[in-house]
Amino acid sequence: MSGTEITRRPGRHSLVVSGVAGATAVAMALTGGGTGAAAAALGTVVLLAGVRRANHRAVDAGGLVAFLGVAVAALSEAPPVAVLFGTVGAVVAWDAGTNAVSLGRQLGAEADTVRAENLHAMVGAVVGLLTAVFGLVLFEVGPTRQPVTTLFVLLIAATLLVVALNR
Amino acid sequence: MSEDGPDGPNSDRSGPQGPEPERPDGGRAVVDEAEEVGEPSVESGDGTEPPSAGGSERDGEAAEAAGADEADPAEASAGAGEATGPVAAAVRSSRIRSTNHWVGFATLVFLSAGLGALLRSRPLMLAAVVGVGYLAYANTTEAPEPELAVERRLSEEEPEPGDTVEVTVVVENVGEAALADLRVVEQVPEALAVTEGPARAATALRPGARMTFSYTVLARRGAYRFEGLTVIARNASGSRERELDVATEPAAITCLAPIDATATVPLRGLTSPYTGRVSTDSSGEGTEFASLREYQHGDALSRIDWNTYARDRTLTTMEFREERMATVVVVLDLRAEAYLQAGDDGPHAVDRGIDAARRVFNSLLDTGDRVGLAAFAADTVWLAPGAGPTHRARARELLSTDPALSPLPPDGRVYVRLQLRRLAQRLDDDAQVVFVSPMPDDTSAVIARSLHVRGHAVTVLSPDPTMGDTPGRRLAAIERSNRLNGLRGSDVRVVDWDGDERLAEALERARRRWSG
Repeated sequence: MSGTEITRRPGRHSLVVSGVAGATAVAMALTGGGTGAAAAALGTVVLLAGVRRANHRAVDAGGLVAFLGVAVAALSEAPPVAVLFGTVGAVVAWDAGTNAVSLGRQLGAEADTVRAENLHAMVGAVVGLLTAVFGLVLFEVGPTRQPVTTLFVLLIAATLLVVALNR
Repeated sequence: MSEDGPDGPNSDRSGPQGPEPERPDGGRAVVDEAEEVGEPSVESGDGTEPPSAGGSERDGEAAEAAGADEADPAEASAGAGEATGPVAAAVRSSRIRSTNHWVGFATLVFLSAGLGALLRSRPLMLAAVVGVGYLAYANTTEAPEPELAVERRLSEEEPEPGDTVEVTVVVENVGEAALADLRVVEQVPEALAVTEGPARAATALRPGARMTFSYTVLARRGAYRFEGLTVIARNASGSRERELDVATEPAAITCLAPIDATATVPLRGLTSPYTGRVSTDSSGEGTEFASLREYQHGDALSRIDWNTYARDRTLTTMEFREERMATVVVVLDLRAEAYLQAGDDGPHAVDRGIDAARRVFNSLLDTGDRVGLAAFAADTVWLAPGAGPTHRARARELLSTDPALSPLPPDGRVYVRLQLRRLAQRLDDDAQVVFVSPMPDDTSAVIARSLHVRGHAVTVLSPDPTMGDTPGRRLAAIERSNRLNGLRGSDVRVVDWDGDERLAEALERARRRWSG
């Protein structure tokens, strides 16, 4: 007796979520010039291919390249708002992508995962946007003439704290 | 999918009172309790009503009760037990683990912040701030502990073999925490094939919200129980997940094979002392004339040959060929070796064999013989020869639902010698044996031979599982054919039943060969 086989990869909907987020990252990178945008676009394409084939590594690599594209744009004098949105876009694309791959592996392409995926991507985007706005407000209102190294040390401290909190 | 059949009448009733819950893709609905408070509470014990009209108010109460009584989901089930809605499910096992989803993300934050510091770029620093936000999001929450109520509805509990059964699973979040990412995988009984729709779904559930998914399975002969779900609940960021094995209210499909017979099964001369349909060489009462003999005192008047008496005034008695009842035991070969299949599709040899055994059994019962059942299986299978409707029903039950006759190969070892000895003790001296086996190996031939040398007339009914498309398969086919020929040589009757042939044809072909 043959039943339906489970296709162990994400459904079509996952591509849409990651694609939209990736496109946002590309659009934001475009404000800093062609190079960054091209890198972000390349990253998004790799990421989408990774989602399609349920390949975690490709999704990770694609997400990293997309973020690097945004970083390049940041270095080419892109406005801070664009950099922030671009970063959030890249992270959401990657986050939705890996989530879709895990859903695809656990449930298969036939299962209905739209609601779970949308919620995951939306919560991810909200978290990113909130911190982005928070950072932006600090950037605009805060003591702007602090040396960058101070900020750097603060950020590293915050990162370590957050990671250590959950260990 | 889910609202096609049984939904009709309920939708009609609930239509005017409240809005139908949205069904995004027609097959799966995430129903919010708040949207359907206005609907009537429908009393229904048949389990066919859809979630959209399923006594929502009472379910809501049950859900609240379950939520308040958060200590033990099993206790909550007492309150929800009477309702037709989902029943709180007990957790059999729970495992929590990290998904490694955000591992390595901190590196990205360091990278961004480091680059920002080196190149004096404030936007990159800002990007790192976003990264820190995500890290906090990922690392500060734990996977939720879902409290679920599950209802499983079957469109048909006693299907015929080959029917499709639609299974609808309703999962309700009866806990107080929202489940951001809930993945549910149905534990479909192994032997059933899912033919339509995945038996799995993922969604997000608020407290009190439900999700419904449905799929169809192809019914096969046997009794199957649906009694569990595998549930994976992740936190919103997806960094941690909890995998649960959830016990649900059991639902069962019992699929009995139909009572159908085949053409008359040709039997051997060996019979019981009871009147039946097998013509024997011994003379006595019957319908077919055999001989004349001198009258003996006590012979029935009806058997006196009055013509002879009229001619020469001597009393002679007519002898007829006695027709007797046969005792037949249908013996199934259910060793793991017999589970062979020609190609990837279609029933395997044991399924065909059990099918054939059922028909032979019924047709022998129809012709007035006493029939029993036995099997070489991991467990003891024995139905003593008998007759009558009760016997027929018992055999139907056994052939359909006995776990030893499951469509899956046995786990345990089959001790052929032991079972052979036990079978030989059980068989009446005059019992015939119909041995149903694909003849996969020499052991099966040994079984047939040893029953034969013990004085039982053996007929081997062998579903042919072989193919001829590769040299290896051709070799296997030749080996089997040699085995059958060897048996024929030692006076065992063999019916070789080809895959695309009807059983009646195979029997008829064999009968012609035997009588010719």
